[in-house]
Amino acid sequence: MIKEFLNKLADPIISFPLVTILFVLMYKYYHFVGTKKFLVWFSVISLAVFGWACTDPNFLAIILWPDNIPISILVVMLVYFQWLSLYKASVNDQRIEAGDVPIEATPEEREKVWCWPNLVYTELFAIIGCTVFLVVWAIVFKAPLEEPANPTWAPNPAKAPWYFLGLQEMLVYFDPWMAGVVLPVLIIVGLMAMPYIDTNPKGNGYYTFAERKMAIFLWSYGWLVLWIFLIIVGTFLRGPNWTFYGPFEYWDFHKVVAENNVNLSEFFWIKWFNMALPSNIFIREFPGILVAGVYQFVLPYAFMFTNKGKQLIRGIGYIRYFILIFLALGMLSLPIKMVLRWLFSLKYLIAMPEFELNL
Amino acid sequence: MTKKHEPGMAYDMKKLNKVFAFLSFLLLVTVGWMFLEDYMRPWKRWQIKAQDIKKEKIKKDILEAEKKIDKKKLAQLEKDLVLNQKAVDLNQEEIDKVNEEIADINKRFKVQTMINGDFNANVSATTFNYEIAQSHYLESGKLKDKLKAEKLLKKLKTYKAGFADSKDKLKAIAAEKKIADTKLLRLAESVTKVKSEMGKMLMKKKLLLMAEKKTDTLTNPVWLLRNAPIIDWLDPTIKIQQVHLPNLKDDLYFQKVPKVDRCHTCHTFIDKPGYEDQPQPFTTHPRLHLFAGSDSPHSLKKMGCTSCHQGQGHRVHDFQSVSHTPNSPEQAKEWAKKYNWHPPHKVPQPMFPKRHFEAGCVKCHKGVEAIPGSITLNKGWRKIEQYGCYGCHKIKGWEHKRSPGPSLTKIASKVSKEFIKNWVWAPKSFNEHANMPQFFNLDNNKQPKHMVKNIAEVNAMAEYLYDKSKEYRPYKKYTGGDPEKGKKLIYEVGCLSCHGVDGLEKASKKVKAYAGPWLQGSGSKLNGDWLVTWLKKPKHYQKDTIMPSFRLTDREANDMTAYILSLKNKKFEELKFEKLDKKVRDDLLVKDYFSAFDTEEKARARLAKMSDHERTVELGRRSINKYGCYACHNIEGFKRPALGGAYPGPELTNVGSKAVHQFGFGHEYDVEHTREAWIEAHLLNPRRWDRGTDKAFKDLLMMPNFHMTKEESVSMTTALLGQVSDYVPPQGRKNLSPEESKWAEGMKVVNHFNCIGCHKINHKMTDEYNDENGENFWGGDILSLYEDDINEGPPRLYGEGWRVRANWFHYFLNNVHTLRPWLKVRMPSYHYTNDQINKIVTGFQYKANRQTFVKRVGKVEWLPGEEEGAKKLWNALECVSCHSGGFNSEEAQAPNLHYSKLRLRPTWIKRWFENPQTIMPGTRMPSFWEGGESLEDTIFGGDPEKQMNALVKYLQSIGYDKFPKGLDKE
Repeated sequence: MIKEFLNKLADPIISFPLVTILFVLMYKYYHFVGTKKFLVWFSVISLAVFGWACTDPNFLAIILWPDNIPISILVVMLVYFQWLSLYKASVNDQRIEAGDVPIEATPEEREKVWCWPNLVYTELFAIIGCTVFLVVWAIVFKAPLEEPANPTWAPNPAKAPWYFLGLQEMLVYFDPWMAGVVLPVLIIVGLMAMPYIDTNPKGNGYYTFAERKMAIFLWSYGWLVLWIFLIIVGTFLRGPNWTFYGPFEYWDFHKVVAENNVNLSEFFWIKWFNMALPSNIFIREFPGILVAGVYQFVLPYAFMFTNKGKQLIRGIGYIRYFILIFLALGMLSLPIKMVLRWLFSLKYLIAMPEFELNL
Repeated sequence: MTKKHEPGMAYDMKKLNKVFAFLSFLLLVTVGWMFLEDYMRPWKRWQIKAQDIKKEKIKKDILEAEKKIDKKKLAQLEKDLVLNQKAVDLNQEEIDKVNEEIADINKRFKVQTMINGDFNANVSATTFNYEIAQSHYLESGKLKDKLKAEKLLKKLKTYKAGFADSKDKLKAIAAEKKIADTKLLRLAESVTKVKSEMGKMLMKKKLLLMAEKKTDTLTNPVWLLRNAPIIDWLDPTIKIQQVHLPNLKDDLYFQKVPKVDRCHTCHTFIDKPGYEDQPQPFTTHPRLHLFAGSDSPHSLKKMGCTSCHQGQGHRVHDFQSVSHTPNSPEQAKEWAKKYNWHPPHKVPQPMFPKRHFEAGCVKCHKGVEAIPGSITLNKGWRKIEQYGCYGCHKIKGWEHKRSPGPSLTKIASKVSKEFIKNWVWAPKSFNEHANMPQFFNLDNNKQPKHMVKNIAEVNAMAEYLYDKSKEYRPYKKYTGGDPEKGKKLIYEVGCLSCHGVDGLEKASKKVKAYAGPWLQGSGSKLNGDWLVTWLKKPKHYQKDTIMPSFRLTDREANDMTAYILSLKNKKFEELKFEKLDKKVRDDLLVKDYFSAFDTEEKARARLAKMSDHERTVELGRRSINKYGCYACHNIEGFKRPALGGAYPGPELTNVGSKAVHQFGFGHEYDVEHTREAWIEAHLLNPRRWDRGTDKAFKDLLMMPNFHMTKEESVSMTTALLGQVSDYVPPQGRKNLSPEESKWAEGMKVVNHFNCIGCHKINHKMTDEYNDENGENFWGGDILSLYEDDINEGPPRLYGEGWRVRANWFHYFLNNVHTLRPWLKVRMPSYHYTNDQINKIVTGFQYKANRQTFVKRVGKVEWLPGEEEGAKKLWNALECVSCHSGGFNSEEAQAPNLHYSKLRLRPTWIKRWFENPQTIMPGTRMPSFWEGGESLEDTIFGGDPEKQMNALVKYLQSIGYDKFPKGLDKE
């Protein structure tokens, strides 16, 4: 019963909004989350749930699959470091509010030490430790030379390397051209542009959340929810034929999901206006072009006139404002597209296979 | 950070050093572990164990060799040695002197050899220099050059003289040495002789002892050093063994690469005799004379292992990686426990399990009817032929086979409509031996909703067959007969070679005939007139039938008919097939057929235009097409697939390479996910895959159920698994030689007419045919009835192409005449085409490796006195007492010898005389000249050679000059 409930819960249609809500809550109550007590309780409960889950053969099989072990390590480390940042930010924010300086700015923390041995020696430790870890890993989890690759018998599921599974998950919602080219380029450009957009001098050299709320929130959403969470989904919850499988579900090769996706133009012309699709593709796709245009080009202008927008422009200027909004909208287009798919089975907003352009 | 440490330090240095020490130790351990992990390869332990086994074997061999040594003789020799040594010792002084002399000679010889070498080198070098100088001079004509050349010539001459002189000296010294050696030899002769004799006796043991030393492993320091970790790349004794097979290819999808097999890394002794009793992996190949052995046709060096067995021969890491396949679930469990085995991950062709090993033969041995030695495979092929799989499924190379079922174009004259319906519904309810499979009332269509539709289909099919049936009237009338006489005749003339017959169950089961139907309940099926006509002249009813004429008299045919008609199936006769439900018929036509590309409304309109009869016939036609009846039977309006019609079933040519995930396992979870398990299960119950599904009537699986046994399904699976798409380069596969392909073509015809039902044929043409039950024989099913006296059965065709003359053979097949008058079993008269006869004759001819024609002897040329001798011999041996034909009216026990002039080849007759038992074991012909000795030493002085030649000539002299008339032509 519980397992079936959890299987349902894990479906991205539910788990994605859920994770988004949890994400918001985490930052809203970061003073609560960022305590040692919370970490202890969280660890205890998680371990107990994990231990119980491991009694399920399907769960165990997917957890112990050698390819998935990096993701398990990643999850544990990520949880810890996320908590650490919240903990330190919470302490500092409380000190700042009390008129104190952050811990990192106290005189004892600002004292300088020798590079050798304090840095170089410890780096050597890290190198040896990593080497030992990798060698043991290689011995314990073998990666033998397997059968010759057979083009007519590809692995199913065919998965990208784990660090690209987030991208592969995007392929479910976007045209390959978008998910494989445009969005990754936007991600890289966005990462490069970040230091130039963010002019807030606060938070340099110390942990804080209160002093740069929007920057941290936006970045973390993209990183934790849109990237890491999708990797986790892609690793543990996507089985044969890239179909969704719950954590306690057997990966049955034959599972079939009823999905019949419809383009916006078909909704618009056929369903709502009850007429044939116009032969001119631009007229046919006009609703999608309109919606996309409004989203990407009109929204930034509209937002300018809100209080928040005015405040932002005051802080960073027009050029930075537009770049920031453009990138943020690009990022948010992924969850929006996901929701549209789940709610309306929407295939593409703009569907122009004639030009291999689908959005 | 607290202020505990020195200024400028964040950590305590001592503590850091400790951490460093700990980490370094950890790294050391890890690196050691890594090397160990790399060194401890699973295959190595098998090689070490193999050395122990080898040692044990050598020890045994040493004991064996010791036993063979004549102890008495050895002791005597040892005694002799001591005595002789004493005698020789008396001459010690002289021996020492000679030895000294020899040492001196050796020294001088060595010195002279060196001098000789110098001269030789100088001659060569100076020759070169001189010739160059001379050619310069000839070109330039200058004095300077001339002088140089002359100077060199002088030098060369000196060297040459020196060389000749030194060679002479060498010869002189060699002569001296010879004299000294002989002297020494003579002085110690008695000892050397004994020593060499002892050496010969002990040689084998000595060699074995040396070999035994080489098998030391862990106690041998050299072995340990050679196989020590890290330095074992230099010259290890434990290493991966491999054969490289450029003539065979492994398909890596993007490229075909030469095959590399490493199986004998663990299967150490697979190609070495003497390890038959060892457990796997150390055992010798169980059929070493055919496979793996160095002088077998499929030697390890030439063929490797995976070319037949499949699997991953180049991967050697452990038991799993080569993709062994267990033969049973029990074995799978055992392997999982022992070797951590699990089904291979993504291997397209895992090893064949043991029961299907012979599947590996098929991919190279193409175009033959049977492969000598492939016991399971031959059985499987025979079963495929019996059940006619090739009728519905295309299998390349099977297109020439006869149609599996009888023609139905004149069916109305043969059986009743009611019979057709009840028969088609459940063939086994009429005849438990029926080869016709069951289509209805099976696993997936026995629910009432399907049943009503099936009943409509069967009714319609019978209607169609009757509607299209051609007019046929038997030309004979059944006048009644004696069933007992008929039964006896059926047994005697040889019907059992093709048919099983009720009432003769015991004999029928012994013969295991399959070419014709088992005669059960025929009285409830056939009418007398039809049957008499059929027995007299089968061609009258069906032109392409293989049923031959036995040249029965009217009396005989009527007696046989009387017996066959007495075989009744009362229960079946009482069956009443349900009437056609017209509504169901119309619905089927509309929903399953007419509305395939049309709306239901239009389909109904189309139906409305048809008359009641038309509708039934239309459904009949559609149903025959649906179930593929036309693939086995000739039916008016259809074309058999082999003649260009559509195959109802999927092609099986490459079924052995079909990916496992492409087999529809449905919801049958107790069937192992392997190719062989699916095919075996499918053959036993082809409809099982529909279990647990909800399918439309027209989509139900249609492969019929043959109700075969598990054993049959296994042998057929072997044959089908062998149908792989692997690419085998021409130089790597069996290419039939021109002789062999003639033979193969001939055997196709022989198999087509089921000649092998009666005649046993040998595959291998050698002079000795001793191994009667061996792998090289084919056919002769009915001979199992003549175990008491094989001479009463149909003659065996051993080396037939050598025995008989081609023109006689050709004539005989068209004009059967009596050769062996004592036989009750009859050679039937078939209707061959000339092409078919030629194929049979040339097939045998080529197999025997004989010329097609041998010259007929016109007038016999006798040597002086030979004719009289021959006649004397003829009388002395009492040939006529058995070969009475043409000499007296006594009952013949052997063929009429007047025919042998035109029938037999003289070389064969002579070979037959030499030892008939080695050609035809069990023959009545006595061996008069066994072991090259004659029983009659008064004639030709007892010279067997002369006696046999004379008799051969005599047979030529008395022979008829005309072929006898064919029995059916009389």
